[in-house]
Amino acid sequence: MTTSAVLRSDFALCLWIPLFPLRCEERRHPELIHRPTALLSPHETRRLWQVSSPARRMGVRSGMTVSQAIGLCPSLSLREPDPVHYDETFSHLLLALEDMSPVIEPVELGRVFVGVDGLNGLYGGPLEQAGAVTQVVRQHGGCDRSAGPPSYRLGWARGKFLSWVAATRAKRGTVVVVPNGEHQAFLAHQPVAVLPITSDTHRRLRQLGLATLGDVARLPELAMVSQFGAEGGRAWRLATGKVADPVIGHQRPEPIVAGLDFPVPAADRAVLAHAIDTLIERGLRHPRRTGWRVHVVRLRAVLEHGVSWLTEVVLKDPSAHRDRIAAPLNTRLESSPPTGAVEHLAVEFTSFARGTDELQLFARDASSSARAGRRQALHDAAREIETRFKRPLLSHVVEVQPWSRLPERRYALIDFEP
Amino acid sequence: MVTSARTPLRIDRLRALNVPQPVHVLVDDHGLPTAVTSETPDHSTTTSGEPNYRAIEEIIEIWRIDDEWWRHSLTRRYLDIVLAGGSHVIVFEDLNSGQWFLQMP
Repeated sequence: MTTSAVLRSDFALCLWIPLFPLRCEERRHPELIHRPTALLSPHETRRLWQVSSPARRMGVRSGMTVSQAIGLCPSLSLREPDPVHYDETFSHLLLALEDMSPVIEPVELGRVFVGVDGLNGLYGGPLEQAGAVTQVVRQHGGCDRSAGPPSYRLGWARGKFLSWVAATRAKRGTVVVVPNGEHQAFLAHQPVAVLPITSDTHRRLRQLGLATLGDVARLPELAMVSQFGAEGGRAWRLATGKVADPVIGHQRPEPIVAGLDFPVPAADRAVLAHAIDTLIERGLRHPRRTGWRVHVVRLRAVLEHGVSWLTEVVLKDPSAHRDRIAAPLNTRLESSPPTGAVEHLAVEFTSFARGTDELQLFARDASSSARAGRRQALHDAAREIETRFKRPLLSHVVEVQPWSRLPERRYALIDFEP
Repeated sequence: MVTSARTPLRIDRLRALNVPQPVHVLVDDHGLPTAVTSETPDHSTTTSGEPNYRAIEEIIEIWRIDDEWWRHSLTRRYLDIVLAGGSHVIVFEDLNSGQWFLQMP
């Protein structure tokens, strides 16, 4: 992959997996597929985040409180959210998609644009390209065939907006292709709800009787600009298909190196392990690392008498967490240690996997990363307990009716299942 | 045990916290409790099988709740009490059944 040229593609294949976190849970727990299920909000455990179709049919909606939801659907299965797992699953999907195209632009969990310029020779036309993406999704997308009906939707078109609208029109497990030149006819029948504009502008468009993009396109651009400003102009250009934003792939960061010289050559494992932790932390704090997780890490040492030592680890699960990166390096240090005392030690991050910006692992502040680490440690401990005792013994306290005058109704326990 | 007036929950997934525990209570002439059985089930009886009462040091507050008269009436008299030894607990009398229950504050 080039690191200097801008990676862009005019034609896009939008892969959309609605309710991606819920799909990940269903993949891990297939018994949930046909049951009313809801994920608790990662930020406010009293409220629901994502709701499955069976639960929606019973009136449960995202944002409801747990007590409201249980009142509507007593059989509702509540799940603790596992953002780290969703993020890792999505990251694996992105890595697999990169094998297909170098131009990948993730938007959010479960939505990614794949640049398809120049892929005709490799895969064939749009349908064949969609077929190749489908294969990747089934293997890595948190919604393989064994876990129930396909939940992904695909849209192929020129530009990101058009391909996104096409994906929203696709039925589950299918692709909608908008051939070049037919975009205006396709867009004309789409509802204005697909426009990326504020809810207030949506409301005003509806009040003006503009229901479809065709209605918007029939207006002069100036009228839209005068009513809605720059946002109106952008909406008009999208509705008429006059803009087609290309897919922009992000260049992978250059390798990040963090090193230190020992004032006195060090042979003690504990000292070296501590130094590795420090160097990994320094590398993770590097601005180039933000938004990326480490895939390949290399540990270099210059020993006494000019001898060198090197080991390289490919992380099965790319990570931005110090301990996860350090663990395999320390194992290597134990199994095949340097043959002499170390004068200079360096940690190199040589390959990266893309991450999404919305989750804790990729947050810029260290405290968010620490929270993610603690959560992962808790999950590991819970798994161990469940393995040893054959059932989950940990529970999570959720607020049900904290305002209730009856103490037993204020809080409840749900199984903590990592 | 108090009958739950709520929609039945899937107890394998969601379990109520601080569920009222039935206790025996000794009351005085004014109907105020003077002693309750220990809140720990293992210590609620003596070796001879008699209830193991703990004296009530102080009644901090008394209040009453009348609720849900439209489906299954809940009528309770709550007492915020301090037991001998300093434990701070809540007991209530279900005025429909006359039973006493203990809860954490």
